[in-house]
Amino acid sequence: MAFNYDEYLRLEKMPTLWCWGCGDGVILKAFIRAIDKLGIKKDDVCVVSGIGCSGRFSSYVDFNTVHTTHGRTVAYATGIKLANPDKYVVCVAGDGDALAIGGNHTIHGCRRNIDITMIVINNFIYGLTNSQTSPTTPRGYWSVTMKQGNIDPTFDGCELAIAAGASFVAREKVTEPKKLEKVFVKALQHKGFAYLDILSNCHINLGRKNKMASAMENLDWIDEITMPKKKYDALSDEEKVNILPTGILKEDTEAEEYCDMYGKLQEVYQGKRDKITPADFKKVI
Amino acid sequence: MAREVISSGNDLAAMAAVDAGCMFFGGYPITPSSEVMHTISDLLPKVGGTCIQMEDEIGGICAAIGAAMSGVRSMTATSGPGMSLKAENLGLAQMAEVPLVVVDVMRGGPSTGLPTRVSQGDVAQAKNPSHGDYKSITLCAGDLTECYTETVRAFNLADRFMQPVIVLLDETIGHMHGKAVLPDLEEVKAGIKPRKTFDGPVEEYRPYGVAQDEPAVLNPMFKGYRYHFTGLHHDAMGFPTEEIETCRKLIDRLFRKVDEHRDELEYNEEYKLDDADILLIGYGSASLAIKEAINRLRDEGIKAGMFRPITLWPSPEERLFELGQKFDKVLSVELNQGQYLEEIQRAMGRKDIQKLTKTNGRPFSPQDIIDKVKEVF
Amino acid sequence: MSLMKAPENTPVWTDESRCKACDICVAVCPAGVLAMRYEPHSVLGAMITVEAPELCIGCNDCELACPDFAIFVADRKEYKFAKLTDAAKERAEAIKNNKYMTLSA
Repeated sequence: MAFNYDEYLRLEKMPTLWCWGCGDGVILKAFIRAIDKLGIKKDDVCVVSGIGCSGRFSSYVDFNTVHTTHGRTVAYATGIKLANPDKYVVCVAGDGDALAIGGNHTIHGCRRNIDITMIVINNFIYGLTNSQTSPTTPRGYWSVTMKQGNIDPTFDGCELAIAAGASFVAREKVTEPKKLEKVFVKALQHKGFAYLDILSNCHINLGRKNKMASAMENLDWIDEITMPKKKYDALSDEEKVNILPTGILKEDTEAEEYCDMYGKLQEVYQGKRDKITPADFKKVI
Repeated sequence: MAREVISSGNDLAAMAAVDAGCMFFGGYPITPSSEVMHTISDLLPKVGGTCIQMEDEIGGICAAIGAAMSGVRSMTATSGPGMSLKAENLGLAQMAEVPLVVVDVMRGGPSTGLPTRVSQGDVAQAKNPSHGDYKSITLCAGDLTECYTETVRAFNLADRFMQPVIVLLDETIGHMHGKAVLPDLEEVKAGIKPRKTFDGPVEEYRPYGVAQDEPAVLNPMFKGYRYHFTGLHHDAMGFPTEEIETCRKLIDRLFRKVDEHRDELEYNEEYKLDDADILLIGYGSASLAIKEAINRLRDEGIKAGMFRPITLWPSPEERLFELGQKFDKVLSVELNQGQYLEEIQRAMGRKDIQKLTKTNGRPFSPQDIIDKVKEVF
Repeated sequence: MSLMKAPENTPVWTDESRCKACDICVAVCPAGVLAMRYEPHSVLGAMITVEAPELCIGCNDCELACPDFAIFVADRKEYKFAKLTDAAKERAEAIKNNKYMTLSA
């Protein structure tokens, strides 16, 4: 029997409003397959999306869905998760939503290590609003706010997430949908904050003025700038410049998860245990 | 059996929230409201609820709205600068019809202003904190007891009208420490009116497909009724749309759901108005000084009385108009530059209302008010 | 497992109402099964065609890479897929070099 995606899609919303060849659809598909693989019930999932093309993700899936203000997916998700700690709460945000306006919330979601899966659809540009520079737009590329060449430095969302304390950090890309599905399965099962940098193509905005106007050209470019982590680690420092490692970059299954810790706090107040002290944690400072 | 307690305004607001069934607080420290969060951080985990201090003001309200979307009674607390930051997401809660209680303990403004001193400078902002068209519901506590009772009322109104309800305190009342007479806890619990939910067949559920004078019917998440929340204009299931009639009807309904039920919202106090010649209008902590001033004026034979709106927005415009017809001499007393005065003038259709304003962070003394009454009347 | 039954004796089939002619499935197919045909009234003037189903090896790459839920591959239990031949690989290459358009124009 072939896979039946219709069960998870809001069919009256099809076809999607995304451009032809947009990676958002590939990510949506892999996510549906992962949920199905894990046998998770639709009622037990909440998808929280931000503003941008990726923001429309939540209206296509038949789960409990929320479309928030720009940059705030992690903050809304934190409230939803804390009020319902046994449910799956998934954030879907673009590179601008997660790393520019939403940077602070992303950092603190990672810091708290709250059990949320954050899918950052990184297409290296602001797509929906037409080609403005994002924190990941390559330097020297054309964007509508830097038409003579982008001078803004980029930064690596995965390194940010690792430094901020996320316990599961991975990068995958839409050109490898099987790996995408696998990383979603792992991230959903992982107890703690899972930061997923998913490289995607926006050939209509980034691509068109940067010599990759078709989906395939933009996708080929993504393949050119990535390398599996093991191979990447073996490179020299000069060779590493302009290459992004893919795969699982951090996986800590021991880190304390925020809802668990809050549950312990509730037990203190309910007289079921002694108060929380530094001895309850591996890392205190 | 009424409860007599010694407490402060902020603490009473926190206690009221938990008594009214609040199970989530998302906030950020800001003087002079922080004590609401300090107190509730001890009260909520005891009853299995959650209090989280988020990384910033915006995170605070977003977490609170998220929890409310998932189905629990939820609250945040802040002051002026925080209201300004929260504005965008207050708009989302209005648009998506999410019930929420927002306690605003007003301080000197604008900007950083006078963090530890009193003002009533957020009144105009409370009417329209966010861009676009929607109808604000704003209550203002006038004494310690009301810090409790108005917070309880706010939760019931938020669930009734499915939108944020702002409860204005101010630094004087928030930090005032004294006796409050609270309603019996059983009475509060019995009076909890949770949001309406739909329990029919899933295929027939239309969260936003309600009558034009009714709020949305939003079932809690994770219970089998799946739909969509968004700040975009949306259809009956919550999905984004730009359709001409749907958009027109949505905004129309956001207004009518409040406007056509003002009788459920209006709440005023009339103090010694029956035989008065002079009408004083004030609210919040200023009303305490006004009452004392009235008593002292009456000792001198000057018959003053006070009208105190407790629900500030929507304003009691019909009652204000009646009073404007009855009283020649009207003085509005506010710890701001006349933010409610504008509404009084509009409702009364008069331009000759006297005003006593103060924006230096100090409360009114009864003498301030007595002197002004004698000066202008 | 959310499953649907494949059409009778079909390795791969499409939903033309959803296809946006992005070329990705044609690009990833290793066996030259797929190509775009000219379709003047369709988006971008083209539409997906399963030209050589008998060459399909059931790798599933087209289904996984399609952003629009417009192409589906049968399960191995439902259909006996072909093995990948050099001729099929050459056909795939030729279609790619023809800008993913059908070779029989």
